[in-house]
Amino acid sequence: MMKVLKPLIAVIVLALIPYVGITYGKLDFVFAIVIPYASAAILVLGMLFRLIDWIRRPVPFRIPTTCGQEKSLDWVKTNPLESPSNPFMAAVRVLSEVFLFRSLFRNTKAELHGGPKLVYGSYKWLWLGGLAFHWSMLVIVIRHARFFFETLPLPVELIEMGDRFLDVTVPAFYLTDALALAAITFLVLRRLSDEKMRLLSLSTDYFPLFLFGAIAAIGISMRYVTKVNVMPVKALALTLAKFGFDAPEPIGVLFYVHLFLVCVLLAYIPFSKLVHMGGIFLSPTRNLPNDSRAKLHKNPWNPDIKFRTYAEYEDEFREKMKKAGLPVEKQ
Amino acid sequence: MTTMNKFSQFLVALAAGLTVFVAAWFFMQAGHRGSAPAIAADAVAPAAASPAKAAPVDSAKCIMPTEYMRAHHMQVLDKWRKDSVRKGNRTFVNPEGAHFDKSLNTCMGCHGSNPMFCFMCHEYANVKPTCWNCHLSPMEVPQ
Repeated sequence: MMKVLKPLIAVIVLALIPYVGITYGKLDFVFAIVIPYASAAILVLGMLFRLIDWIRRPVPFRIPTTCGQEKSLDWVKTNPLESPSNPFMAAVRVLSEVFLFRSLFRNTKAELHGGPKLVYGSYKWLWLGGLAFHWSMLVIVIRHARFFFETLPLPVELIEMGDRFLDVTVPAFYLTDALALAAITFLVLRRLSDEKMRLLSLSTDYFPLFLFGAIAAIGISMRYVTKVNVMPVKALALTLAKFGFDAPEPIGVLFYVHLFLVCVLLAYIPFSKLVHMGGIFLSPTRNLPNDSRAKLHKNPWNPDIKFRTYAEYEDEFREKMKKAGLPVEKQ
Repeated sequence: MTTMNKFSQFLVALAAGLTVFVAAWFFMQAGHRGSAPAIAADAVAPAAASPAKAAPVDSAKCIMPTEYMRAHHMQVLDKWRKDSVRKGNRTFVNPEGAHFDKSLNTCMGCHGSNPMFCFMCHEYANVKPTCWNCHLSPMEVPQ
């Protein structure tokens, strides 16, 4: 129970910090300018630190996880995607994992059916929920570009139009808002509803979910229900986009809660499970082509061994060997 | 075999969901198109009758405080449209007790004098309202 309550309380306390700071402390500048820059710096430097650290780790041998026959003889049917033999197919495999979560599609669940019978079954809901969550988050982040650009780039506009194509409610209802909330709810309930999942889940699993949930809920509330004046929000976003330091005009406190939680999320990414957004590309079990039979892979940290040939040995000890009556190759 | 069955079940469910979704969208679009003339007809009749109903258009000041209007104007206009066009209720009473005609013309009484009034902020915030799909925007009205 504490594993769920602790992150929940943490998110509530985090949400209260800007609320108190803005309402009683008048710390607009801190929450609008200082903290966003600080968290962006932590995100960039932290990600660089993690990724450079991972890139520097030598991976001398090919260790991809495969789900298919590797390329060998002509008459053996190969599976170029599941066991890629060249970097291009390996890249395709990584990208298909990034965009479609193919490994989650193979997700199974194990259940005990009436005593000692363990039954494995297909379980696609996690794949579907994860896909819905990640894609809606991506669309929502892209949609926020309308705050950071003076004129909207066409692709962003098209995405936004597609997102609001239902054309209901004023302000227009975004599909991804509902999708994201539904997906987060599912992902939380998935962990809570099953005994095994409750045991496996840690507070670091719940914290990002609650954080995303709070950010989404507050954002949706600001759009459809409580409303804030968008003009100073846009001015602040433009200021941040060009690295300015002008304090914004007064904005509703709910906006600062939203912004602060986003900042917390950004700063949290490099030091948590959320770093998988960069790590997925550097995972050696995924990004390496499976060509150990076709190519020789030398260990780059083999020590430089000093060899001594027999000729050198004989050169050194020839006189002594002769005296002792040992045969020598060169006189 | 069972996994394949489940997978095909899933595909069927997905296809069924998509079908319902597309059908709903289609009917909504059809509904929009069908009701457009009715809205126009409704809008004409009360507009002609409104002076007789003695709903004074007090255009000297705004219906609500500026701060409220900045954040909520789109909801006010949306509600006004529903009330006046669909329910025939054309009079808005603000908290101070002043009466207003629920019409875009009430707003335009003051704000129409600046042809860029709506455009400036909406362009700045990259928000495209659907008002001007039917109504004439202040930019299109000859001053």
